[in-house]
Amino acid sequence: MRTIIEAQGLTKVYKGGILAVDNVSFTVNEGEIFGFLGPNGAGKSTTIALLTTLLSPTKGTATINGIDITKHAYQARLELGFVSQDLAVEDALTGYDNLRLQAGFYHLTRTEVHDRIAEVLKMVDLTGRAKDKVETYSGGMRKRLDIACGLIHRPRILFLDEPTLGLDIQTRREIWKYVNTLREKNKMTIFLTTHYMDEADSLCDRIAIIDRGVIKTLDTPSALKEAIKNEVPNPTLDDVFLHYTGKEMREDFTSKEESFKARNNIRRARG
Amino acid sequence: MNIKLLLSDIYWVFWREIKKFLQQKARLMMVVIQPLIWLVLMGNSMSGLTRNPQAAQMLGTGNYLDFMTPGIMIMTALFGGVFGGITIVWDRRTGYLNKMLAAPIYRAAIPLGKLLSIGLQTMLQALIIVIIALFLGVHFKTGVLGIIALLIIAGLFGIIMGGISLSLSSRIKSMETLMAVSNFLTMPLMFTSNAMFPTNAMPGWLKAIAMGNPVSYAVHAMRTISTQGWIWHDILPALAALSGIMILIVALAIRLFSKSVN
Repeated sequence: MRTIIEAQGLTKVYKGGILAVDNVSFTVNEGEIFGFLGPNGAGKSTTIALLTTLLSPTKGTATINGIDITKHAYQARLELGFVSQDLAVEDALTGYDNLRLQAGFYHLTRTEVHDRIAEVLKMVDLTGRAKDKVETYSGGMRKRLDIACGLIHRPRILFLDEPTLGLDIQTRREIWKYVNTLREKNKMTIFLTTHYMDEADSLCDRIAIIDRGVIKTLDTPSALKEAIKNEVPNPTLDDVFLHYTGKEMREDFTSKEESFKARNNIRRARG
Repeated sequence: MNIKLLLSDIYWVFWREIKKFLQQKARLMMVVIQPLIWLVLMGNSMSGLTRNPQAAQMLGTGNYLDFMTPGIMIMTALFGGVFGGITIVWDRRTGYLNKMLAAPIYRAAIPLGKLLSIGLQTMLQALIIVIIALFLGVHFKTGVLGIIALLIIAGLFGIIMGGISLSLSSRIKSMETLMAVSNFLTMPLMFTSNAMFPTNAMPGWLKAIAMGNPVSYAVHAMRTISTQGWIWHDILPALAALSGIMILIVALAIRLFSKSVN
């Protein structure tokens, strides 16, 4: 199988000396759903920010479809779609205009734009609501629109940072259904983070567990469970997660900004 | 650098801001109502001044509203522009900034597109003030061309204030702090300028400050155009100073923004 993401010794030290990601190396294969799990503050979002070129690594690098993210950030951005956990769609604009804007940011030509918007709207079943303002959408529809924005330039890899944060169980299932279709129909590689272990278990081909900036383990869900069988009878992915990350509660080092974002997301996700 | 792509990126950032601006019905209403209140209220309460011949001489016109209109235009530009940086703080909070940064767009396009939209919004507001002023009987000595020049100067000034605000917002990440700092800046800038009172009527120390205040340059150029005519030796130096300040501030805003997202 072809490697599509290769991280080599990725390290990020924030100002003030906080080591968020510590010499992380792994590969993601083309066409797989790769789960990236870990407790709050473990380094998940920082790793995604590094891979999507939002942050530059202190040390190490990664390639996205063979393109070095530190040397050719611009080209790397064309290969990847990024859907943050923030539900970053413009409520005041229509769904169509949100996508039009995104198409502009990716320099699609005037002739491509209309077809491409129709294509992604169909992928997430929003064709009928495209002319409505996003403020009239439900949380699940907003998330689908956000995903559609990430797909407008036909990326090879889609990064989904906690795509089901704050959504109810029905909507969560719906979102996962779309993600699965993307992989199956469009052969897209999906790199995702989530806190829902059962979902990661049923959806992901392989899972990495990161804690305190270090990857603790990386394997298929069944192999991960198999590995701790001697310690826990009939283990679930929850058990695997606790096995590698420990049971104590985490201090949440979130800033005022982060907690504002989190509250805002949950409010908007509920529609 | 690919100029075509840069222009396209600037255009789409600009498009987003303008599209959002036009969606905000309440804000559009305020754009009309605020100058209306200022002109009617200030115009009425201060018109007694011009009955005093000495005051009329200081104002350089027999009609206080003629004197006041350019001041109101700049004041609107000042208050409109100075909150331009808030959109960056907001984009950072909602995650939209990261969405733009993950796209293959030039970093400089984000502040430039926002500043352009601030410039256009300021010109639109200035145009509304002109229309209201015409209804209130204000006379623009240089006619339509003069009015266009007034709008352009107001736009330049809006971009300067927007640039200051964007520069601040690259450092200040909280909305409350940015608002406080912006307010702290606007009031002294306004009241140490010639926007409302002629510099001739000011005490010496205040006059000295007013002469160095960029608000005064803008108002002076505009007031000359609207009440005196095309007196170039008065207008050009003010315009040159204003353009120079604008270029410096825009460069600073781009630099600080690019640094803050790296």
